Order: sequence, then C-alpha cells, then structure tokens
Amino acid sequence: MTEVKSTGNHDLKQDYRREIGKKTLFIGGSLVSLVVLVILSCAVGTGYGFFETYQIIVDRLMGVEPSNITEWWADHYVCENILPGIVAAIIAGAGLSLGGAVMQSMMGNPLADPYTTGISSGACFGAVLSITMGLSFGTMTGDVGIVAMAFVGALIPSILIILLSRFVNSSPSTLILIGTAISYFFNALVTYVMVISDADALQDAFTWQIGAVSDIHWGDLPLMLIVVSISSILILLVSNKLNLMMMGDDSAKTLGLDVDNFRTLCLVLISVLIASIISFTGIIGFVGLIAPHITRYIIGGDNKFVIPAGMLMGAIILCLADLLSRCLLDFGNVPIGVVMSFIGAPIFLYLIVRSKSDKEVF
Amino acid sequence: MATRHPEYRGYCRKKVIFTIGFMVAVVFLSMFSLKVGFYETTYSEIFDVIWKNLNGMEVPRQDQVIIWESRVPEAIVAILTGAALSVGGAVMQTVLRNPLADSYTMGISSGAFFGVTIAAIAGVSLIPGIGSELATIINAFVFSLIPVAIVLMISRNRKMTPTKIILVGIAIMYVFSAVSTLLMLTADSETLADVYSWRVGTLSNIAWNHVGVILVFVVAGIAYLMFNNRKYNLMMAGDNCAQSMGIDTKRTTLTSMTVVSLITAAVVSFTGTIGFVGLVGPHIARIFVGSESKYLIPASAAFGAAFLLIADCISRVSGTYGLPVGVVSAIIGCPLFVIILVKMRSKEWA
Repeated sequence: MTEVKSTGNHDLKQDYRREIGKKTLFIGGSLVSLVVLVILSCAVGTGYGFFETYQIIVDRLMGVEPSNITEWWADHYVCENILPGIVAAIIAGAGLSLGGAVMQSMMGNPLADPYTTGISSGACFGAVLSITMGLSFGTMTGDVGIVAMAFVGALIPSILIILLSRFVNSSPSTLILIGTAISYFFNALVTYVMVISDADALQDAFTWQIGAVSDIHWGDLPLMLIVVSISSILILLVSNKLNLMMMGDDSAKTLGLDVDNFRTLCLVLISVLIASIISFTGIIGFVGLIAPHITRYIIGGDNKFVIPAGMLMGAIILCLADLLSRCLLDFGNVPIGVVMSFIGAPIFLYLIVRSKSDKEVF
Repeated sequence: MATRHPEYRGYCRKKVIFTIGFMVAVVFLSMFSLKVGFYETTYSEIFDVIWKNLNGMEVPRQDQVIIWESRVPEAIVAILTGAALSVGGAVMQTVLRNPLADSYTMGISSGAFFGVTIAAIAGVSLIPGIGSELATIINAFVFSLIPVAIVLMISRNRKMTPTKIILVGIAIMYVFSAVSTLLMLTADSETLADVYSWRVGTLSNIAWNHVGVILVFVVAGIAYLMFNNRKYNLMMAGDNCAQSMGIDTKRTTLTSMTVVSLITAAVVSFTGTIGFVGLVGPHIARIFVGSESKYLIPASAAFGAAFLLIADCISRVSGTYGLPVGVVSAIIGCPLFVIILVKMRSKEWA
C-alpha cells in the first residue's frame, strides 16, 4: 500500500519536473529562434548573407570599427536602418503580448487584448493629440510628453472597463463589444484630428496610425524598453495572483486576494505599457490576442510561464510580421499593423466561433 | 374587420402622431439644413431658388451653385440615407432578434468599402466594360453581401448569442478592412484622399445625378420591407412561433437581408461608411412607438433622416475642413451603443 503510494508520489514529482523542464525548454527554444529570426530578418532584403549579417551585428556589439568603406556602409545599413525596426518589433511584441496575457487572465476573457478592448485606440488618440497639436502636461516635452498624453488616452477605456466589470455583470463578449465601440469612437476622433491638422499629411498619418516600425530610430527605443522591462518584472512578481484571478473573482477572493484593487492596478500598469508602445509604433493589433493563446496551447495556463514565454512568442510573431512586411511586396513596405490584421483577424474569428458558451474561458 | 378596443386605438393614434411628428421635424430640419453653412442666405431666398428652379426660371449663379446644386441634393441624400440605414437597422434587429444588429456592426459597410476600394484603386469591376461610377456601385453591392452571408451561415450552424453574432461581424470587418488598407497603401495620395473620405463617410460630394439611383433603391426597398411588416412582427416571436403561423422564416430572413443589403449598398456606395445610424434610429424610435413593425419602420425612417440631417448640419458648420458626417454619427452613436449593450441584459432582448 505504502509502496504504491510512494511510487505514485515519485511519478507525480517526476511528471511535474518533466513539465517544468518542458516549459523551460520551450522558453529556451523560443529565445534561440528569436535570435536566429533577428539575424535572418536583418539579412532579408539587404543583399548580405546570413553569416555576413551575423558578423556585422557581432562586430557592432563588440565595438570593432569597420576597416573600409564597404564594411562601414554595410554596418551603417544593417545597424542604423534595419535593426532599430526589428528591435522595436521585439519590444512592442513582448509588451503587447504581456498586456494581452494579463488582460486575458485578469478578466477571464479569452478575447481580451489591448486592441480589442479599445485601450490601443485611446492611447493612439492621446498620442495623435500630442503630436499634431503639441498638447502636453506642463514641463513634459518630447517623447515623455507624448507618452504621458497617450497614457491619459489609454486610461479612458481602462476606467470604463473597470467600472463596467465592477457594476454591471457583463459577459466576455459584451466587454469586447464595448471595447470595439470605444475604439470606433476614438478612431473617429483621430480621423478628425488628422484631417484638421494637416490635409496634406494624410498619407503619413494614415500609415502611422495603422502601425509601422520602419521609421523607428535607436533614440526612440530606450523609453519603450524601460517601460516594458519594468512592467514585465512587476507582472512576473504577481503572476501567482493572476493565476488566482483566472479561477474567477469569487475563488480569488476566498483565497485572500483583493480582486477589485488588483484589477485596477493591473489596468493602470497596462495603460502605461500600451501608451509607451503605441506612441512610437502606432496601433498594432492582435499580437496581444494570439501570442498568449499559442503559448497556452503549448505549455498550459500557468501564468508564471505563460508571461515570459508569451512575451517571447509575441516578439517572435511581431518579428515575423516585420519580416513579412518588408518582403511581401516588391514596391514598398506593408505596415506591420496590416500584416498583423491579416494574421490576427482570422484567429480572432476562430476564437469567437470555437468558444461554445458566452461564459466559456480558455 | 373586427372592431378594435378603444384603448388600443388610442395607442395606435399616439404612435401615428409620433411618426407624423418626426416627419414634420424632418421637413423643418431639411429647411434648416439648406440655410446652415458659410454662405449666408435667408429662408425666403431658399424658397425663391427652389421655386424658380422647379419652374425653369433663371437664378443668380452663386445661389444656383451653392443652394440648388449642392445643398438641396445633399439634404435629399441625407434624408434618404438616414431613412435607409435606419430602416435597415430596424428590420435586421427584428429579423435576427438582435438589438445590436445594424449595417455597420454586421459588416455590410466594410464589405461595400472593400468593393469600392478595389474599383477605385485596383480598377477591378465585376462586370467589365461599364462606367466607373456604375462599376463602383455594383462592386459595393456584391461585396456588401459577403459579410452578411458569412455571418448568417456561421450563426445558423451554431447556437450563438446576439453579442457573439456581432463579434463575428466585427471579425469579418477586420479581415475586410485589412485587405482594403493594403490596397489603400498602394494608392497615390490623391486616390487615397478620395477613398479615405469615402471611408469616413461624407455627404459633401453629392450631386443631382446621384439622387435618382439612391431614390429608386431606397423607396422601393423601404416599400418592400413595409409590405412585409406583419411577417416581421411574427418573426419577433421566434422562429418556431413564426413557422407555426405559416411563415417561411428562412426565406423571409434571406430576402429581407438581401433587400436591406441592397438599399444599404445603394446609399453607402455614394456616401461612404456612416456608422451607427442604423443602431441609433430604430432604438430611439422604439422608445416612442414600440416594437410593432408597422409603426417602427416609418418612425425609424423619419428618425434616421432627422438624425443624419442634424449630423450633416453639425458637419457643415464645424471647422474649415468640416467634420465628416461619419465622424459625427460615430461620436453620437458609440456612447449610445455602449448604453444599449449595458441595458440589454435587463431587457426582453437578452
């Protein structure tokens, strides 16, 4: 009897370790494939080979000075023109995916992500106001001012979601519909601001709004990177609490979690996160929706792993989208936002049709 | 016919009065919309211009261009568009028993927009060898039917809640708008500006030669829907009920949705995407006249027309570039959509 029990325990522990090992392996594998993807992405369309590109990037990192004009040109081209966009795609992908994973766990809603809940559009509206009209807060200028305005814009949908989920018993799809309505509303306002500010700049503004990473420089990246890293650390620290939230509000409360305040804090954090990304890239939809889903499909729902792995997955997806956006058409770039809609919209449709009842989660 | 209960007659009279009241309001609003704008006129001048034009007399050039050739067709199309979208919304909501249904949320507009984009940018028309304007309309019409067909197919095979059906519509809209955006990126800036103004929805490009087509489609379509009003009342009670009362529900749904798509396509191919009128009109009308289709259809038509006339007036007086009508209707319509969604839970729709 005891013999059987102990082997059972042993198996269980072994199984658990194997599971953890598998998840760690998945994260490691994603990391490696991300690095390969970055080099590949730098190589595509530049005319340099895979290893040549690798050499160029390593040289830059090691501080090796280019010895002749050809090398200098290659270095300049890869590291100043192509690489910033790719790094931006990685940071944005990781950040948006983090936002999506947190929102899905927190709201118990498989369709939630910063795009479908309207937070992205709100942030975009704030950023557009700041860029076109120079609105800002007091002494905040430049990038920080734009991000601050985007944050205020992002707070509007967030607050609405908090209020509605607190006072009205809404189903997941109702919340998403409200989010969609909010994003229509903000899109209308963004259109208006763009049309009145400069009629000639419509094309630029249009491209900016649908999300692009091709115009990003090294100087744009630090703010994004700092915000994304800090929020990811904070979220990882509370990933256990997110696991509790996934079980539903009542269960989370019985296990000692202050659900309402936790949700509010998370939404504020996500608003900052999304604002800092959207201000530089424009709206990129669906990454936050699909990256966590793919991750959960492979390694299960434990947020301790879903969050880091989902961030990597988001980075990979956006990196791939960036790669596609540069080589899909011969006459120019397809903005990354459009590529993401092509990938994401059908998956969104699939997720809606697949879920059987209104309340069903994951 | 059996005599009706006096109390019921009182109800009916109230509904008729409301409907007529709305229609009178539309007449006054359209007069007002002819006057509003940067070009100053008086009502007597407007009447004078209209009277002289109807009788084939000469009118001062400036008045002729601004009032007769621009504002009058714009007001007429605003009325027709508002009526068409609103009636379309009312019928869709009734037939699908879904309070959120509307030509915009069901994806009709996104399909139509895709059709317009491929006609305007890629120069593809489904029937070769016809004029570009006709090609645009035909494209808009054909492609506007696709989203509705997909939504109906998906929602028929699986039991779905109203909100989920709308989400399916939105997902399809995402797909279509991704393709349209891709096309828009390949366009030169002039075509882009045209297509973009279509996308936001505007009435300012309307001229007299557009009015005829819209008028025929909208009047015929609304007449057909009005003719079927009794069927819709029964459909409200549910498919089973309606079938036991002798209605071929599948056919009614299909034909009504086709007619709704037809009139929607006819207006949106000229005016562009104007969202939420189909949502706002019927819901406000329902507050006053209730859900009986006989009264709901004309009342929503009148209310939708009034709504769009007001939106058009606002759009004309706001700023140098003008706020597009689509933006005005979105700004008014979105909050209303959210309110309906939140209230829906406690109402008979849920």
